[in-house]
Order: sequence, then structure tokens, then C-alpha cells
Amino acid sequence: MPITRRAAVAGLTAALSLASLAAAGLGTAPLARAAEPVLFGVSGPLTGPNAQYGAQWKQGFDLALDEINAAGGIGGRPLAYRFEDSQSDPKQSVAIAQKFVADPTIVAELGDFSSPASMAATPIYQRAGLLQFGFTNSHPDFTKGGDFAWSSSVSQAEEQPLVADFAVRSLGLKKLAVLYLNTDWGRTSKDIFVKAAKDFGADVVVAEGYQPEEKDFRSTLVRVRDAAPDGIVLISYYADGALIARQLGAAGLKQPAVAVSSVYSPKFLELGGDFVNGIYTPARFFPEDPRPHVKKFVETFKARYGKEPDAFNAYAYDALHLVAAAAKVGGPTRTGVRDGLAKIKDVPSVIFEKATFDAATRRIAGAPSVKLVVKDGRFTLWDGAKTN
Amino acid sequence: MTSFLDHTINGLVVGNIYALLAVGLALIFGVSRLINFAHGSVYVVGAYVGLIAVAHLKLPLPLTILAVVVGTGALGILIERVGLRPLAHSVRIAPLLATIGISFVIDQLIQLTFSPDPQALPSLVPDWRFTVGGVTVGALDLVIAGIGVTSAALLYGFLTFTRLGWAVRATAQDRDAARQMGVDVDAVNRAVFAIASALGGLSGLLVGMYYNYISPAMSFQATLKGIVAEVVGGVGNVPGAVVGSLLLGLTESYGIALLGTTYRNLFAFVLLVLILVLKPNGLFASNRQLPPEPMTGTFVAPSRPLKLPASALAGLTVAAFALPLVVTTPYVLQTLSNAWLYAMLGLSLTLVAGTVGQVSLGHAALLAIGGYVSALLAVDLGLPVMLAILAAGLATGAIGTVLVSPAFRLRGHYVSIATLAIGEIVGLVILNWESVTRGPIGVSGIPPIEIAGIPLYSAAATYWFTLAVMVVLALLQAKLLASHLGRTLRAIREDDVAARSHGIALSRYKAIAFGFGGFAAGISGAITAHLYSYINHETFNAQISILALTIVILGGMGNVLGAIVGSVALIGLPELFRITAEYRILIYGIALLLLVRFRPQGLLGTV
Repeated sequence: MPITRRAAVAGLTAALSLASLAAAGLGTAPLARAAEPVLFGVSGPLTGPNAQYGAQWKQGFDLALDEINAAGGIGGRPLAYRFEDSQSDPKQSVAIAQKFVADPTIVAELGDFSSPASMAATPIYQRAGLLQFGFTNSHPDFTKGGDFAWSSSVSQAEEQPLVADFAVRSLGLKKLAVLYLNTDWGRTSKDIFVKAAKDFGADVVVAEGYQPEEKDFRSTLVRVRDAAPDGIVLISYYADGALIARQLGAAGLKQPAVAVSSVYSPKFLELGGDFVNGIYTPARFFPEDPRPHVKKFVETFKARYGKEPDAFNAYAYDALHLVAAAAKVGGPTRTGVRDGLAKIKDVPSVIFEKATFDAATRRIAGAPSVKLVVKDGRFTLWDGAKTN
Repeated sequence: MTSFLDHTINGLVVGNIYALLAVGLALIFGVSRLINFAHGSVYVVGAYVGLIAVAHLKLPLPLTILAVVVGTGALGILIERVGLRPLAHSVRIAPLLATIGISFVIDQLIQLTFSPDPQALPSLVPDWRFTVGGVTVGALDLVIAGIGVTSAALLYGFLTFTRLGWAVRATAQDRDAARQMGVDVDAVNRAVFAIASALGGLSGLLVGMYYNYISPAMSFQATLKGIVAEVVGGVGNVPGAVVGSLLLGLTESYGIALLGTTYRNLFAFVLLVLILVLKPNGLFASNRQLPPEPMTGTFVAPSRPLKLPASALAGLTVAAFALPLVVTTPYVLQTLSNAWLYAMLGLSLTLVAGTVGQVSLGHAALLAIGGYVSALLAVDLGLPVMLAILAAGLATGAIGTVLVSPAFRLRGHYVSIATLAIGEIVGLVILNWESVTRGPIGVSGIPPIEIAGIPLYSAAATYWFTLAVMVVLALLQAKLLASHLGRTLRAIREDDVAARSHGIALSRYKAIAFGFGGFAAGISGAITAHLYSYINHETFNAQISILALTIVILGGMGNVLGAIVGSVALIGLPELFRITAEYRILIYGIALLLLVRFRPQGLLGTV
């Protein structure tokens, strides 16, 4: 039977790929143990459409890592993390999960970014008894995956009433238009927000969900205008939030706008330009924040990266500190880290001020919130005036 | 009724932006008969060249435009030279795959150079605005419209009145005849790619300035919208592309007006399917126009498939089943389990695309249907998991066939575009049909696979289960292809006119193929859902459809074993390149390009 030379080469290449794939997997296990670092695994996007968030995680992690290691690491051993790129794609995050759970040197895992990628991997982490610490996972069912699924993401059940409080009670808005990112996060947030706003006595006159890749909101904003709201609420991340803010300005919608804390990013200011001035947001921290822990975070971050930190930097920074604190308390083993999370109390945190987990929900309650407004291209403390 | 006017103006403004993309795509399709998946990447490059010119070099607008046009024009020539010219004599499908590989490489290079973070691209056009009806129109809108209409007019003039333009059109009509008449077809292609890419780059620059926002991730959406607009106007029809774009913009705008923002793309893709079914040559095709080149037969290359003796196949299968006894690393087993699941998808696509010649670009939708049916049956109705998976396979076969049936009368690239649209529609229906699918929140707590009451937890058990299902499906498919049915299906691919004149009812046989293919894909999606325990509308996205096609082309169209080998290679390679961290998708793209270049008929050859 005729086999061309090319076909034979191609077949051989495929076979070799398989063999070295197996070798790559096998090679990680046997390693020397002495003075070996305590290792965390990170599963997150470094390439693909969400790569920007993975890049921000890295900045937050590296900052926290240096602080932890400068303070003596974990029981004298240095801390290190291994970041595996999942593209926030479930088929890759489950493979990474298998890789991490089979590697005895890894004592905890952080990530993934999106709910489909994170929650697909949860059963693997849960069965293997390796902590899965999701710090951007606000999906209400994330920590229901098992007692090894923990999250430091601010629960939307807590966040959204704060947004509603700002919009309705502080700013006195009564007829709201809501624009929300139509993902599990945005949808959950919107539902909770609408309920909270109604409880405070406001009406939601129109709610529009948009796809993450959308850039043009002109037609959506005509719908918003026709509903005649007296205020606009953005349940957005910083990039899409800035796009909407610009188009609000261009469409001549002058109503006050309140955005959720995820827009807190220097990029929001950069992408939005003059149009984000006057937008309100109940954020977790801000550049001139007087709290010492936040001050230290903002200053060391600026010194290291030459820009101001954003919300995703802070989530990652906090997450590494929290899991490291748990490893110190419970010991650098898989169950030790998990048990440690239940024991740690009042860990200094940028997002929560003092973080303590509720062992039943495996989440943290009590994130403080500061009311900010964008003024002259900066996030500043809101002075209490009702309109801009 | 002022909002009606406002929505109309908004639709025109947005369509205006799509037009710049669509014109370039139309030009390339008109001449090279190629859907250029790298067009969105060129658009991104245009935006970033603009960023350097504006933010770093502080160039004025005319010089910025010149820099973008020259830079992306040169990139177009490079793409044509490196990616496509070497493939001129190979299979039609090879250049398509090459453009996918090129887009990976360009997007990754941009991301590595400029960081994945979105950046602001300040507009150099003064922000003058005036109000029409209830909406404002800015100076930049007029600049974009001006450039769009001017470039379409210039192109039209170029194609109609210049010698090179005649050569372009002659090449578009019949490449071989043009060559015989002394037309330098390579020069024509080069010119077309340079012009189209310069336009694509220009639109990247203008759209970036328009939104003050550029990011490496915007390439795929740009390609998608450009293709839709182009097809609505009639593939390869340059003035049609402009009108198609405006129509697309209007449809989206009215769609939002009627039902809200979440329905935006649903309207766009329904419009596309309607146009394809009712006027497959586009709105502006005259009835006298020749039918588009019959793609069947020429689309899938005849080649001598690599055939393994039955004993070798049996040996390989035994080795695959024995592997977990030797390799116990769960990571490797999980990766291979993923490969088996994608091999099922590959089997499905290689049947419809390879054997019957219906190249589907929406195959991920079948995974989604299978995943949702099985997950909802198990979660909401408490059906045993194995039964739910089987039911999902059957349901996907049926639903998939019904959904694709409007595309049965189409041929060649039109099938691809129609299936792309149908795939997007399925995703959007899942997103919006909340009472059943739970919308964006997704389905969580999907029970694991159980055999006789014992859940499959370990990586080895998952491996054996997925491998066994995949082998059964592969054997069934091989049996099907060896029967008279297989011969009939191949006859449809080779020459549908001849097949029909022999009394073969085309639609019925296509339905059989889609039904069987849908079953395999549905099973794959269902197993995936039970392994993941959580799915939402993003789990099975358009990227997976592209991956499926890549698997099939790489393995060899219509080749059952090829689908399996292709899947192992394409699921394995990104994992293998993991040590290269941020560079891995770049390396993957280059590997893909090399494979297409040196083995365009697929690793194991077309059957």
C-alpha cells in the first residue's frame, strides 16, 4: 500500500507529540523536597479574549508574593505560584485542574476567571481535595461546588444593594435605566439590583443586556432615552463601561450615571476620556484612600508598575494574601490551607478591610464601600452633592 | 415616531462602519473565492499602527492614514505571499485554513507587543456634532461614510475602467482562462490583497478612533460582522457589500428597537439565513448571472488516503485502551479524554463536510444542543444520566437536521456561511430562552456520568468511557461509509448535478448525514456537560466551530481515522506548547500554517 513520505513524517510527528505530552505530564512529579517553595497553582487567561484580566492578576500576585516572601514566606519556606494559561476555556481549565491535583507540590489553586471555566474544574478539585479559590467568581453557585470551593469575590447580594443605595438614597434617583453585561455575573447582578432598587422605592424603567463583545450602544441608548429615566446604572466592566459612558455623552443623555465597582480602573478613565467625568461608583478603595493597608498597596503598586491599581489587581493581590495567610495558620498542606481559611480572622485586605470567611458559605461578608465620583479624570471621594 | 427615525439613522451609522470591513472581504472573495479569516486581524493591525502614529509619533491625520494604508497594504501582500500563493495549486479549503492560522499568529503578535489590555486611540477628527431627529451625528461619522463610499466608488471604477481592474475581474471569473490570456494572476492577487488589507487597516484605525478603544481581541467579531455584511450584499460584489452593511446595521438597530439589546445579533443572523435561502447570490444578483462556481468536487481535494491495515487499527485501539495502565498521569488522561470528545465532534463534521461536502462552520451549536438537552433532562426531570446522554444524541440529530435543512439547497461557501449563522442563532436562542435554558446564568449542578450507579470520577474512568463511546461511533461511521449510503454521500460531494440526475434525492441524503453527524456531536456535548457539571451559553462558542473544522481538515476530509488523529493533534498541541507560556498560541498558529503548507490534504488524506 502506498504511503507517501510526507504522510509518514506527519504521522510520526503526531505520535511524537503524544509521547512528549505524556513525558511532560510525568516529569513534574518527582522533585527534591528540601527548602522547596510552597507552591500555589493559578489557572487563568494569559492568551485569548480575556488575556487582559490574567495580566492584571499577575501584577497583583507578584506584588503580594514579594511582600509575603519578604516577611519570611510560609513557615520559613518561600511562596511561589505556577500560572497555567487556560484562555478561560473550560476544556483547558479541566486539563489544568488534573495537572494541579496530580502534582503533590501544589497545595492550593487560585482561579479560573469566567464561570464556565472555573465551575467545570470544580468537581476535579473537590474530589481531589485541593482548594479552588475563585476570587472573581461571583456566580451564586460557585461555592456550592463543594467544601474545597471558596471565594473572596464580593457577593453580588452584597454589592448590588450598595449600588442601589448610592443611586436611590444618596443621589435621589427614582426612575432608573439599567445596562448590564449579559453574562452570568451581569445577569445575577442586575436581578439583585432591580430588587434592591425597588425596595428602596425606585422604579427600573428599562433594563438592557448587552454581549461582552459589543462596541456600539447607539440604538440601545435610544431605548434608554425613550424610557425617560432620571438616572442610568451601568453593570459593566471597565472597558465596556467606558464605551457606554462615551456614547451616553454623544447621545446627549445627561442623566447622572452610577456604575458598579468593577469599572474601578485607570483604564476606565483612559478609555472614557472626558465622558466619564461625573460618573458615580461605590468602589472598595480609591487612590487617596487613608486606610494604611490600602495606602501601602496603592503606593507600592504605583512604584512598581508606574500606574494606579484597578479592581482586578486588588482582587488578585488580596487573594494571594488570603490563601497565604490560611497556609500559615493551617500549614502548607492541601487540607491545611482549606482548614486555615476557616480559621483566619481579620486578615488585612484592600477589598474587605478585614477579611474573615463565613465557613458555611465559604465567602467573605462585609466589604466596605466608598462613594466615589469621577472628577477631572480622577476617582475622587463624592462630596455629597446630589447632581454634578 | 421620532425613535423610528433615530433608529434608522443609528442603523446607517453602524452599517457605515461595517461597510469598510465588508468591502475588503468582498474584494478578496470576488477574486480569490476565499473567506479571509485574517481580515479581522489586519483590521486590528491597522488600529495599532494608528496607535503608534497618533500616540507615539504624534502624526497628523493624513500622515496617520497614509501610515496605516501603507503598513496594512504591505501586510496584505505578505499574507498573500506567505500564506496563500504556495497553496494556489492545492485544495480550495487549504487557503481558508491558512487564513485562520495567519489570524492566530497576527493576533498573538499584536497581543505580545502591545499587551492584551484595551487602549485608547484618540480621535484626530474634531468632535463636531449635529443633531438629526433625536440623535447626534459626528464629524467622524461623516469621515467614515466618506471614506467608505469613496473607496467603494474608486474600487468600482478601478474594476471597470483600468487594465489591472479588468485583469482582476477576469481572474475572478476564471483563473485558468485569465492565465491563458496572459494575465499575471499572482500580480492580480497581490494587488487585491494589498487593496483589501489597506481598506481593512483603515477601518481598524477609524473604528478605533470612533470608540476611542482598540484591543487585540476585537479581530474575531470584526471578521464575523464583515462576513455577514458581505454575504447580505452578495459575496464578491463590492457595491453590494456597502448596501449589505447598511442593511445589516439597520436590521440590528430595528431589532434592538423591537425586542431589546440582547436580540441584536439574533436579528443579524436571521437576516443572513433568510438572504441565503431566498437569494443566495445576494440581494443584487441579477437572474442572468451565472451561478457561482460549483464548489463541490473542487472544494474537497481528491487524494490517496493513508490506509492502515485492520490489524494495525485493532492494535492501536488496544494500545489506546491499555494506555491508562501505563500512563497514570491524570493530566495526560484528561487531555486525551478531551481529545476523544473532540474526535466525536470531528467525526460528525468530517461526515457532513468531508463526505457530503457541506462544510459547516457552526458545529459547536450541535455540542450546545446536546449539552443542554442532556443537562436539563438530568437536572430538571431527573432522568438517569446515561439515558439523558442517549436522548441528547437523538434530539441533537433531529434538531440539528431541522435547523440546517434550509441550507440543504445551498452549495460551497454558502453552506459554510449559513451554518455559521445557524450556529450563532442557536447560541443566542440559548441565551434568550431563559425559562428553559436559564439564560446567561447557565445550568449548574449537572450530575456526573454513572455506570450501574457508580459515578465516573477518576481520570482513567473518564478516559475509558469517552474512548469507548468514540470508538463505537467511529466504527458505526466507518460501517456507514463502506455501505452504499457512503457511496451515495460521496457522489453528492463529487457532483451533485450528476448525483441528482441518477435519481438521488439530495436533501434526503444530506438529512441522513446531518442526522448521524448530529447524533455523534450531541453525544459529545452531552458527555462534556456531565463532566463539567456547569455549562452556559459561552461553554460551546464559535471558536469551537473553527476548531472542529481545523480538526477535520488537518486529519483529512471525510477520513474517520483522520478526525481522531486531527483531534489528538489539535487538543494536544496547545497543551504541549504550555511550557512556552504566552507564546503557545503563536506557536500553535505557526504549526497550523506549516501543516497546511506541507500537507494540505490533511494528515491522513481525503477519503
